[in-house]
Amino acid sequence: MFDASQQRKLVSVRGLKMYFPIYTGLLRRHTGDVKAVDGVSFDIYEGETLGLVGESGCGKSTCGRAVLRLYEPTEGSIIIDGKELAWDNIEARRISDQADRIGRWATWAAFLLGAALVIWLGATEMLTGAWPIVIAVLAVLVATYLVSRLSRSVIYRLRGASEGVSVDEFAPDDRALRRIRPTMQMVFQDPQASLNPRMTVADIIGEPLSEHSNKTGKERLNRIYELMDEVGLNRDFANRYPHEFSGGQRQRIGIARALALNPKFIVCDEPIAALDVSIQAQVVNLLEDLQTELGLTYLFISHDLSMVRHIADRVAVMYLGKIVELAPRDGLYEDPHHPYTKALLSAVPEPDPVSHDEANRVILQGDVPSPSNPPKGCNFCTRCPSVMDICHQIDPEFREVSAGRFVACHLFNDTQTAG
Amino acid sequence: MLDGAKPSVLDVKDLKTVFKTRRGEVHAVNNVSFHLEAGELLGVVGESGSGKSVTMMSLIGLLPSPPAEVRNGQVNFGGMDLLRADEDQLRAIRGARIGFVFQDPMTSLNPVFNVGFQLMEPLRKHMGLSKSKARKRAVELLELVGIPDAQRRLKDFPHQFSGGMRQRVMIAIALACDPEVLIADEPTTALDVTIQAQILELVAELRKKLGMAIVWITHDLGVIAGIADRVLVMYGGQVVEQGPVRELFANPKHPYTRALLETVPHVRGARAERLKVIQGQPPMLSGQPTACPFRDRCPEAMPRCAQENPWRISVGHSHDVACFWDPDTGEARDV
Repeated sequence: MFDASQQRKLVSVRGLKMYFPIYTGLLRRHTGDVKAVDGVSFDIYEGETLGLVGESGCGKSTCGRAVLRLYEPTEGSIIIDGKELAWDNIEARRISDQADRIGRWATWAAFLLGAALVIWLGATEMLTGAWPIVIAVLAVLVATYLVSRLSRSVIYRLRGASEGVSVDEFAPDDRALRRIRPTMQMVFQDPQASLNPRMTVADIIGEPLSEHSNKTGKERLNRIYELMDEVGLNRDFANRYPHEFSGGQRQRIGIARALALNPKFIVCDEPIAALDVSIQAQVVNLLEDLQTELGLTYLFISHDLSMVRHIADRVAVMYLGKIVELAPRDGLYEDPHHPYTKALLSAVPEPDPVSHDEANRVILQGDVPSPSNPPKGCNFCTRCPSVMDICHQIDPEFREVSAGRFVACHLFNDTQTAG
Repeated sequence: MLDGAKPSVLDVKDLKTVFKTRRGEVHAVNNVSFHLEAGELLGVVGESGSGKSVTMMSLIGLLPSPPAEVRNGQVNFGGMDLLRADEDQLRAIRGARIGFVFQDPMTSLNPVFNVGFQLMEPLRKHMGLSKSKARKRAVELLELVGIPDAQRRLKDFPHQFSGGMRQRVMIAIALACDPEVLIADEPTTALDVTIQAQILELVAELRKKLGMAIVWITHDLGVIAGIADRVLVMYGGQVVEQGPVRELFANPKHPYTRALLETVPHVRGARAERLKVIQGQPPMLSGQPTACPFRDRCPEAMPRCAQENPWRISVGHSHDVACFWDPDTGEARDV
């Protein structure tokens, strides 16, 4: 089995929250939040695959996207390859929000003041002739740009110093983030929707190269061919368009694009959900081969529990925005701890008529509550077969109950925290 | 070949459906034959494009023509050939004697009418019930499929129901007129596993209570294993294997069925280090099939497979397979 303690943590997520605000009424007031991801913590070790499973709407895709900073997380810390991508420090987050606001105002103020000045100078005929006016206008634009670029770091430094927050604790801004992006990539669910129909395969795979590297045309083309070989696409198809390929091959194009910049970490968001059963196995085997070859680390998001059992080293189970259980793969599938994991596993129909007759099914009643209005206490208390009084009152803590096994459930309150 | 102990309620022979497209004809369903016994659940498995849905849609004239054309075949249902019935006769059968449940309950329920109206429509049209009687029956039906507070929920619109609840409403509508046959086209594919388990349990219960025959189309072998009595495996528009569920899963004869069972990973039991793969892509189905549709991907393909399209050969009690290769001897069949 995978020995976690020996490995370096490549990804470390702590208390990640991703809320989407709800605005209602005539005044579009902020009346609530859809708590898509509500305080999620996990680590991914170098070279392993962490499976993230759950039903639709549980927040697993949102979680994957937030980890890659495709969203602006509401709260929490995300460290990938030693770099903080979000807010470890809550104070930093507050200052950053302030800086955003102040920066916006300052930019507008600089622009309007400058414009007013130019108009006033022009009106009082202190500026005459075409050239002085052009230069003045340019000066205003440059000043506005400088304010918008620098206000943030100036505020970080000033406010940070007074609040005791060092500059490193602030999340990277868009420019800094862009430099980090090559290390982390994503493979999307629907290869039809995630590939531009007007770009050829070579353009699609080469786009990250032209965005993030200084390769010449020839080097770039060589790299594209190399990538196509790697994922098992025929080089002759480089000038074809995505619609000329089948679903499985399209997904290979998506994978080649993700590999273009030699990433360390790839989020696979339901990469096989849109494919036929006989094609799924081809893509999963390809992902496994690439992992061994290139030492990749995956976050594999899926609702297919049997496929996750095949590909993942450790598995996290999500329910209504929270991870309810995280454990090494074999332990989770053989001895699930959390009642939801148990129900989820027993609901998967096995392709074996004999086991169906013997199966002792846990069938959950009812539906998943709305993430904008989760129940008080444990999120699962409305459907849990072993619900207790305490579950309606207190949200169980997500803690380690034995080595490497994390559960958020009151049934495991008695066990001592390991380590 | 197709000998059933019980009388069959639906008997399909040599059904052939063709789509006419700009790039020529697509032979979506080729000489498909099967029967459905009273009270049994027939599972139909296959990948997308294997012709499972088109087969069922052709049966009761639900395909738009053009582009579709049912070119050949016979569908015996209650002493009538459905393929030769006129639109009025079909309309009297659809929804009344043959119920349909579609994959996506959001697109098959009308969003601008409340659920009560949609439930009462078949009752009033087909059974001629008065409004108040229809409403009473509608409440009964919603209770039957396990929707709590049925009386009040009649006034709700589809968007006010969750996915699982919507599928329950679809099933209630399909059951409204006590059909003899229920055709369910991927009814749980759009649902989560825990909700799927609820629906499967509901169907098992309803079968016990009402005893209708069901055709259940799916690509999920696990679902089939749990609920079907008999299984039809389709590939490339043809039936490649047919047999009782236990027999078929324990002793699959067609290389495609065997490969399919090996490629899916399991949640329980031993875990394979590496997944078995069916190489290649599904066939295009253009042109009249003259050879086995699976031959390009088949590990056992032999020269004969490219010359003749194998017919269904009986290999046991109501178990037949369309293949020239015999897995028991590892050699070609002597047919």
